[in-house]
Amino acid sequence: MFLARIDGHMTSTVKHETLEGFRLLIGQRLEGNGQTSGDPLVLIDTLGARRGSTVIVSTDNEPLRRAAGNTIPARLVVVGLVDQYRPTGGAA
Amino acid sequence: MRLGIVRGSVVLNQAIPALIGIRLVIIEPVNAANLAAANGLGGGKALIAADRLGPANGQMVSFVEGRTAASPFYPQDAPIDAYCAAIVQNIEFQPPTTEIQTASEVHS
Repeated sequence: MFLARIDGHMTSTVKHETLEGFRLLIGQRLEGNGQTSGDPLVLIDTLGARRGSTVIVSTDNEPLRRAAGNTIPARLVVVGLVDQYRPTGGAA
Repeated sequence: MRLGIVRGSVVLNQAIPALIGIRLVIIEPVNAANLAAANGLGGGKALIAADRLGPANGQMVSFVEGRTAASPFYPQDAPIDAYCAAIVQNIEFQPPTTEIQTASEVHS
């Protein structure tokens, strides 16, 4: 699991049928110093995260397989909304 | 899932049986700077993804990587590690611009 900041969202009409009905958010992974790293990620959200939210993302798609079946081609799920997040700093 | 721009497709003339009939597209992953600039550029290292959606060249897609990319072929096994899961219709991406906001606050 890792922390991510929500920076946007996307819509799609042509997609794998198991993705129907899921909110697709765009997030960026957060490092220990509070900076983002890596490419933007498409996250599946059922909790109502918004732009600016800090969330915990799991790379296990068990909740998605449970909800939409074993054929779902998605892995990154928002599993928690972060209330307090205090990066302690460190090397950039 | 990451985002990528479709840069073409691949046709095989010989393949292992599990790959026969699977459409393959070339995807250039989009990095944060290019997504924020909405400039149609990717910037990442191109990869090959399995696809059943038929995106056009230049369209942005969302693709899943790793073992999960083979999930749509369940219960069959396929040696696929990237799969085009959605064609992007509309995307909004606005990371906070902390440095710029700080600078303007100082001046105002």
